[in-house]
Amino acid sequence: MNDTVIEVKDLVAGYEGRVILKDISFAVRKGETFIVLGGSGCGKSTLLKHMIGLHPLLAGEVRILGHRIQGGGVAEREAAMRSFGVTYQSGALFGNMTLLENVCLPLESFTDLPSDARRLIAEMKLELVGLKPFANYFPTDVSGGMKKRAAIARAMALDPQVLLLDEPSAGLDPVTSAELDRLILRLRDTHGISFVIVTHELASIFAIGDRCIMLDAETRTIIAEGNPTELRDTSPLEKVRTFFNPAARQG
Amino acid sequence: MTLNLPEICTVDSVTPLWKQRMPEVGKLKAGEVLILDADSVKRYDGSAEALIIEVHRCAAAQGFSVEYRDATSVIAKTLKIFNPAVFSDHTAYDLPPRNTHTVVQVGEAAVRIWRDIVDVLAFLGEVVTSGLSFLVRPGRLRLRDTMLCIERAGMDALPIVALIGFLIGLILAFLSGSSMRQFGVEVYVADLISIGLFREMGALITAIILAGRTGSAFAAELGTMKVNEEIDALTTLSLPPVLFLALPRVLAAAFVLPFLSIFAVFMGLFGGFVVLWMMDIPAITYWQHVFNAITVNNVLIGLTKALTFGLLVGLSGCSHGLHAKRSADAVGQAATASVVGSLVLITIFDGIFSVLLFILDI
Repeated sequence: MNDTVIEVKDLVAGYEGRVILKDISFAVRKGETFIVLGGSGCGKSTLLKHMIGLHPLLAGEVRILGHRIQGGGVAEREAAMRSFGVTYQSGALFGNMTLLENVCLPLESFTDLPSDARRLIAEMKLELVGLKPFANYFPTDVSGGMKKRAAIARAMALDPQVLLLDEPSAGLDPVTSAELDRLILRLRDTHGISFVIVTHELASIFAIGDRCIMLDAETRTIIAEGNPTELRDTSPLEKVRTFFNPAARQG
Repeated sequence: MTLNLPEICTVDSVTPLWKQRMPEVGKLKAGEVLILDADSVKRYDGSAEALIIEVHRCAAAQGFSVEYRDATSVIAKTLKIFNPAVFSDHTAYDLPPRNTHTVVQVGEAAVRIWRDIVDVLAFLGEVVTSGLSFLVRPGRLRLRDTMLCIERAGMDALPIVALIGFLIGLILAFLSGSSMRQFGVEVYVADLISIGLFREMGALITAIILAGRTGSAFAAELGTMKVNEEIDALTTLSLPPVLFLALPRVLAAAFVLPFLSIFAVFMGLFGGFVVLWMMDIPAITYWQHVFNAITVNNVLIGLTKALTFGLLVGLSGCSHGLHAKRSADAVGQAATASVVGSLVLITIFDGIFSVLLFILDI
């Protein structure tokens, strides 16, 4: 149990009383890359947004490093919020700041470090994602893949133990997407970060996923959980096997 | 000198080290030795890694040597991931210094205003060209969008126009009434308000409201469309953005302002009536003076001004929106610039009208 970094128990998620996901329970272990997958519209991003407290849970509980994200006190929520970093589909970098300033922002807000220390830490985070030479560029001046990497650097600024990435490969070419996968694996190995990744990119899922859950739009819940390769080869559900074998679906 | 890294070497414990011990490290000279002791470290984060890199950076710059006590391999792991030499150049990423000299700033502001005017004029050319193509093929104008713009710019603005118009009439009547009462001619306040509102104030006030309310909305809307690449999508579909997005808005602004202006004038006249009624001037006398003072020329001058100001507000809003850069910040700047641009243009054209009317003796 000590290995668990995220615990989701009996979660019901939705908007304005409309249930989109129900009976969602799973645990993410320390140092693993956990994938949330499923077809378009199955509620992957909805689950992520409810997990990180952007929307109120309709029922259930989410604990990150033991802290409740909702349902506890303000201090518990703040402790939970400090323990993870998030990146969004578009990168969501602040357009009026350089990449370096984007990464510096959380350090300025949450630490008392002197400015040269903050700057060095931000430079080191950018170096980790291979963007130090572009530290002074604005988000509009860099490519989509670089934006995603910069967003990861910003999410890592406060050294969270968990990173949640929403569709990191969306809109990227296969080569850039593979580079991003290698970066995720490197950060996991060097810094022991646990990743929760929302994606439906099969190449990424097989390349980096230790375990995964598959959401289903029809039943509005988890229909499969396990290692992606094992699920592809041995799942009793045809829906799952078909998702992992698009060639079979077309044939 | 020895620098001990604490057992829990995270940002809370590193911050005091950075503030108190690093200045001492910065004073070490060539030949001296710094012992970096990480033996007791059990947990560390990015701030500890940064401290280790900073020590090495100082050592390289100042020439002192560093000895490790690294039973937990914290230093070795950090140096394996990060090369201190990469972070040696502090100045490489400095932002270009902003020129804060007043003369330069004034010059830059003048150039900006000049470019704004040129842009709006160039945009006027594009709109006229699009307008001509619309005359050839009227079906190309999106009538539904135009009607929607008219509703938002016109109908939805009625409450604020009513309030401001009423208050302006009230204030004008109070200011002039209190002075004129001393001479017993307060009844002529009705003439003053009537001429002032029809000829000048009605169009001016509503144009300012339209610039703040609608012109900025045009700029923000089109700016956001540019950020979302919707403008690019229109262009690649061979649909000119000026015809499809700007022309309906410019036409709507030019169309609604004369009506809003007349509405503001009547609300202002009503405001004046309330004041003169309080000064015991009979209603019949007030309205008689008001309608006697109205001339066809005054009404036409007011309407012409309103039409022109509406056109300028629409042009400024759409021009700044379509020329916005691709960021959230730029959208805000475009909205601000559209309002400022509209006000500058309205003032300039109002001045031109005044000179022309004086020369023509109208």
